[in-house]
Amino acid sequence: MKTLNLAATLLLALVFLNSCSDGDDPKLPLGDYENGYFISNEGPFQNGSGTITFAGDDGIISHNIYKNVNDEDLGNIVNTINFAGDNAYIIVNNSSKIVVANRYTMEKVTVIEGENISQPRRIVINGETGYVSNWGEPGDPSDDFIAVIDLSSNTVTNTIPVGEGPEDMLIENSKLYVNLQGGWNQNNQISIINIFSNTVDITLNIGDVPNSLIADGQGNIWILCEGIPSWTGNETAGTLIKLSNSNDITSFVFDALDHPINLTSESGVMYYNLNGKVYKMNTGSNDLPTEAIDGLDGFYYAMTIHKGEIFATDAGDFSSEGTLKVFNVHSGVLLETITTGIVPGDIVFP
Amino acid sequence: MKKYITSLFLLSFALSFSQSDPINKLDEIVLKGSFSPILNSGYSVQIISDSILNNNYQSLGNLLQNQVNAYLKQNGNGMVSSISLRGTNSSQTGVYWNGIAINSSLNGQTDFNSIAVNSFDEVEIRKGGGSVLLGSGAIGGAINLSDKIVFQNKKEAHINSGLGSYQTFTIQASGLISTDNLFAKVSFGGSRSENDYPYDNSDLFNENGEYKNYNINGVFAFKINDKNRLGFYTSIFDNDRNTSRTITAPSNAKLLNFDSRYLLDWRYLGNRYTSSLKLAYLNESFTYFFDKDLLNTSKSRSSSWVAKYDFTYFLNNEILFNSGIEFENAKADGDNISNVEQNDLTAYILFHHQPISSFRYNLSIRKGISSIYDIPFVYSFDGQYDISKKFTLKAAFSSNYRLPTFNDLYWEPGGNSDLNSEKSNSAEIGFDFVHQFLNLNITSFYIKSKDLIQWQPVSGNIWQPVNIQDVSNYGVEFSSWAQKKFEHHLFLLKVQYDYTMSKDDNLNKQIIYVPNHKGNFILNYQYKKWSLSYNLQYTGEVFTTTSNTQTLNAYWLSNIDISKSFFKNRLQLAFKINNLLDENYQSVAYRPMPNRNYMLNINLKI
Repeated sequence: MKTLNLAATLLLALVFLNSCSDGDDPKLPLGDYENGYFISNEGPFQNGSGTITFAGDDGIISHNIYKNVNDEDLGNIVNTINFAGDNAYIIVNNSSKIVVANRYTMEKVTVIEGENISQPRRIVINGETGYVSNWGEPGDPSDDFIAVIDLSSNTVTNTIPVGEGPEDMLIENSKLYVNLQGGWNQNNQISIINIFSNTVDITLNIGDVPNSLIADGQGNIWILCEGIPSWTGNETAGTLIKLSNSNDITSFVFDALDHPINLTSESGVMYYNLNGKVYKMNTGSNDLPTEAIDGLDGFYYAMTIHKGEIFATDAGDFSSEGTLKVFNVHSGVLLETITTGIVPGDIVFP
Repeated sequence: MKKYITSLFLLSFALSFSQSDPINKLDEIVLKGSFSPILNSGYSVQIISDSILNNNYQSLGNLLQNQVNAYLKQNGNGMVSSISLRGTNSSQTGVYWNGIAINSSLNGQTDFNSIAVNSFDEVEIRKGGGSVLLGSGAIGGAINLSDKIVFQNKKEAHINSGLGSYQTFTIQASGLISTDNLFAKVSFGGSRSENDYPYDNSDLFNENGEYKNYNINGVFAFKINDKNRLGFYTSIFDNDRNTSRTITAPSNAKLLNFDSRYLLDWRYLGNRYTSSLKLAYLNESFTYFFDKDLLNTSKSRSSSWVAKYDFTYFLNNEILFNSGIEFENAKADGDNISNVEQNDLTAYILFHHQPISSFRYNLSIRKGISSIYDIPFVYSFDGQYDISKKFTLKAAFSSNYRLPTFNDLYWEPGGNSDLNSEKSNSAEIGFDFVHQFLNLNITSFYIKSKDLIQWQPVSGNIWQPVNIQDVSNYGVEFSSWAQKKFEHHLFLLKVQYDYTMSKDDNLNKQIIYVPNHKGNFILNYQYKKWSLSYNLQYTGEVFTTTSNTQTLNAYWLSNIDISKSFFKNRLQLAFKINNLLDENYQSVAYRPMPNRNYMLNINLKI
């Protein structure tokens, strides 16, 4: 029955496509999740599974897409999703694995796991190579590393030891920049890795607790450091660091109690969150902004700018579905509010 | 056998004293203290006796789930577990040990897998708000674990041992010596298990679930004269557990917890008044290993001194006064709490009046002061009316509170020292019906709680507790019990069903992990030396998200227990099948519980 239905649908689809195409470039849809963007939801800590939400360009929101297609849970704490070729790479932190699925259909391709994937955090992609930051055992400050993944075979080919708590990464100037945020502790460094030799070129002290970074297209890397939180007893202020291609450092220091997060940028303008507001700063500016952008207020768990729109998530009470708000960054108008999965931690555009 | 029947009778229904005999009343009050049915006329106080405690229960949580239809939430088999009465949260059920509150001053809860189930003699369960007599935390109800002291010439020794699936071993040995004026009871034992049961429909098993624990308990008492008695109690529990994996996340973590409790108790039983003075020292420590192979740990410990004086004065056959004063000094220290201390002083007074033999009521109030927060004024009014020999009506209204814990106040990061106490009002009304071999009870309750403490995310990754949640709990509890004997055949049947609503008033959603439906059926059949007991429990669906979008399935659990006694009851062999229906169930999401498993118990009495 099911096969029959499928066959009928395919037939209909073919007829439909043939009748409305001009005949020169008939293009079958590659899957249900071809046109739109993805939200990775961490899910409840320990007792549950993270999920992927897909927001289609047609306005349709699909929840829990990986499980719906594959009838299995992704795993505990889904940190992020990224894309290379036809594949999506889903980082499952607390289950210590990377789930590889077809990017258009979400059908499972394989799982990368084993001793060379341990508490993975983020993934960046450079051609046929993926780099995954790993904490190792969170209580052990000396076992953190970057796993180098061959994306054609989906295997770990190399590991590069780094300092404690590697988190967000970026590839620019043919180098891999790795924020050493600190994991369960607080670190204050960035490691710069030579991607030809897979070795750490240099590790620089920047600011306390680097949490996000962007490239400005002028050869500079901007790193947002949130500072050390007050509960530790040695609170420090946040800093915004400009790191040039030749490793010159310029620091912009925030007020003593300020801990900015979520640096994102587009067209030479950077945006970040501070004290429940969104600020913007031109990469050419010599000072931190003092005025927040009107209309965008909120304590966001994750924030990304894409084509002039700010996508910002609210994890609510962390025990139920979160929300994603989409704003026009110029007018501050709220364009859309979307219900996500539990603890929406990343918004990714393929 | 007779003892068993008597205790089962007591178990189902509150003691009722239709005779207003002062000595009997005083005796009961000095024995049961704040759990005395006389001082709780409008509430139900159920007593579970030693014969049931010795009935091969694996944990106190399982026993309460079975005997009083409590809802037990377990983070996997043998892991940290808590119970909930009337849909309240785990820190709103007060747990007491010989009248002394033992809920952790760090997290406000009692872990029901860190109490030796067969190391004490009696468990009293008092449902409903009880802050006036019992203090902080007795909102859904309260449970007292008590040791009985009886001065009579007696010597006794028991060894209970068990062997179960997944390499589970338990042993408990106890000895008792009693004379006309001396009493000593010592009990010690432990259990350990690989606890590596397979997860259904997967190739996973309960990895990192091993546990081992031991306990030592002692009771020593001296009868100074007919009116004065001195008692010393101690209870030590050491628990070493790895914390098991979940379906989606492996674990290599481990939790050590150690509790030691000491209590000195002096009781005076006079003709017109009784008094009791208790001095207790309680100690608890937790060590959590993020990875058991590394030495990276988080430790916390707390200790407290409690002094409690309780006095009852019998004015005449109709009126008695009960009052008390309680002082507590508590300290805590650890990796996330730095050297904190508090002092609380509270006092209560209760007026009991029985104007006619069929009607009695209590009026009571409590107020306290503290070095760190306000302790609210609370009151209670409860009464009981015997409509006829068969029908009894009970009703109660009370206000109650729960104080913030050390973790709530001082945990770094997040602890909020500005927290206030949680407040609640509760009302209940119940009917008892007793006719020949049949007993029925139906009680309906309503609890309205305000300013419940909830940890909420504030900026960034920091969570902070705030007095924010308002909750309404209401429901109906039904229990029935019958026993019948035909010659050598004895049948006991117990059916219980609770309907519980627990609603977050702000969200207008059911509180997570509170089932609407919970039912329980027990059939016990005895024939000469044989005994067969069958238990079937139903736990309804629970929500796992505060938005009520995700649920855990309802489940049926059944256990069967067959035993036979030999050599004049000196030896008992029991075989038990747990989860007879082989139900694949979870008490907490993504933490599967064991499928069908077996246990063999050998009990020796010397």
